[in-house]
Amino acid sequence: MMNMLIHELRQNQKATIIWTLSLVAGAALYLSIFPAFVTEADTLRKMLEGFPPTFRKAFGVTLESFATVAGFYSMILSYIMLAGSIQAMNLGTSIVSKEERGKTAEFLLTKPVRRSQILTAKLLAAFISLLVTNVVYLVAVPLIINAMAGAIIDIKTFLLLSFTLFFVQLFFLGLGFLVSAWASRIRSVLAVSLTTVFGFYIAGALDSIIGNTAIRYLTPFKYFDFAYIVKNSSYELQFVLIEVIVVILTIITSYYVYVKRDIRST
Amino acid sequence: MNVIETNKLTKSCGTARGIIDVDLVVEEGELYGFIGPNGAGKSTTIRTLLSLIYPTSGSAKIFGKDVVEFGAEIKEDIGYLPSEVFYYDNMKVKDLLNYSASFYKKDCTKRMRELVEIMDLDTHKRIDDLSYGNKKKVGIVQGLLHEPKLIILDEPTGGLDPLMQQKFFNLLKEENSKGVTILLSSHILGEVQRLCDRVAIIKEGRIVNVEKMSDLAKSNYSRFKLESRTPIEKSLFALDGVSGLKMENNSVTFMFKGDINSIIKIVASIDLLTLWVEEPDLEDIFLHYYE
Repeated sequence: MMNMLIHELRQNQKATIIWTLSLVAGAALYLSIFPAFVTEADTLRKMLEGFPPTFRKAFGVTLESFATVAGFYSMILSYIMLAGSIQAMNLGTSIVSKEERGKTAEFLLTKPVRRSQILTAKLLAAFISLLVTNVVYLVAVPLIINAMAGAIIDIKTFLLLSFTLFFVQLFFLGLGFLVSAWASRIRSVLAVSLTTVFGFYIAGALDSIIGNTAIRYLTPFKYFDFAYIVKNSSYELQFVLIEVIVVILTIITSYYVYVKRDIRST
Repeated sequence: MNVIETNKLTKSCGTARGIIDVDLVVEEGELYGFIGPNGAGKSTTIRTLLSLIYPTSGSAKIFGKDVVEFGAEIKEDIGYLPSEVFYYDNMKVKDLLNYSASFYKKDCTKRMRELVEIMDLDTHKRIDDLSYGNKKKVGIVQGLLHEPKLIILDEPTGGLDPLMQQKFFNLLKEENSKGVTILLSSHILGEVQRLCDRVAIIKEGRIVNVEKMSDLAKSNYSRFKLESRTPIEKSLFALDGVSGLKMENNSVTFMFKGDINSIIKIVASIDLLTLWVEEPDLEDIFLHYYE
């Protein structure tokens, strides 16, 4: 199984590097405008007060805290999370389905390995890829905040906020993995992952606008309320639980489906 | 010992035709042919044996073990060459071969080198730079490098030039002489004829006949082809045992089964230019089953 894991990691290498750099660069870009933000905070606050509250909610703007470094970081984190979710969903959706799309399934599945072992190797490889992205991100971004934004973020708050990126990514990895294991041939991975991720994102934005809490349970983008995290230095337990359950269910179902289904011929 | 044994193996593939009640027995050390036209169910049978797809009903055993339950275990000793080979494009040939070898418990390096040499393969090239024929060679090497006890080939020769085909067949014969069992599926009858001891004929998802190659060849059909100087009356051949009669200008071809004297007398009455009497090849026999 080690051989498959290494093979998968090699195959993911390039994409992982590109995604990691992009996420960090994206964060750096946003953070570089923070100093300007702080000096103009009063003007901006007045301007934002003019916007309808629902509009502010949809964009994750909190009047009280947007000019603090934690508040500002919370605001950009939701966009980084959107990008990171696409990374995770892409990874999950392609990692199994690429064998059938690339017609290499007949090579892999006629080797003396069980299908469950194949899935485990692939899942582990995807998990490690995301882990690498997050470790690099967690090390790089505080440094960037310090260097570019000229501020120091409370490290516990930063970690609590930033771990949510990994959690939400795991949600989409699980979902993508399930799609991948289920569908016998996916024409375009990107189309599937973009539609899904934006679907959940828009649902999240709707929840902000309407203030309807029922949607909160459905979209991972709403499992972690940044304002709550900054204020309480903790997560809301019930949403962490939902997240864990969803991830476990998608993975178990993926195994169940993939082990039993027919592999389409070339 | 039976290396492959299927029992009423059935696979319905939705709209596509599957296979129905296939009973196939391949003994150890056999070179077994599996012929039929495209879409008859050859690939479906093979893909079921390899548990790429699962039977709707019935069962299949390889090395005496159920293919579904012990799939991973039995594949340790199976070499498979699919009809179309596709591999991870961004890999070099040697990387792919090493990856393939890494799945098996034994050390495959020596055999891999031998095969690369026999197949005349450049292992430093990237797979996406290879021609179709060369990709096929990669397929052959990766399918044989672990010295499998059973080799399954699905339409293996497409894309190989005749010289390479010859080398490949010699390789298979050599493996077979070491006791390796081979299942060769094809719709090209010549290649089955050149290699196989026994042959199963599959038609519309069912096995219609299993015969020894030598018996097939020994069937008392003869193939006649003759040309005459003068036009020939069709009624001349209105005789029991004549089938597949074709007349074109002054040439006649037909198959004959029966007392050879009776037909020779008729042929003798014609003012002949040329005459061939041949043993039927598999193609003719094949046509006979597909009439």
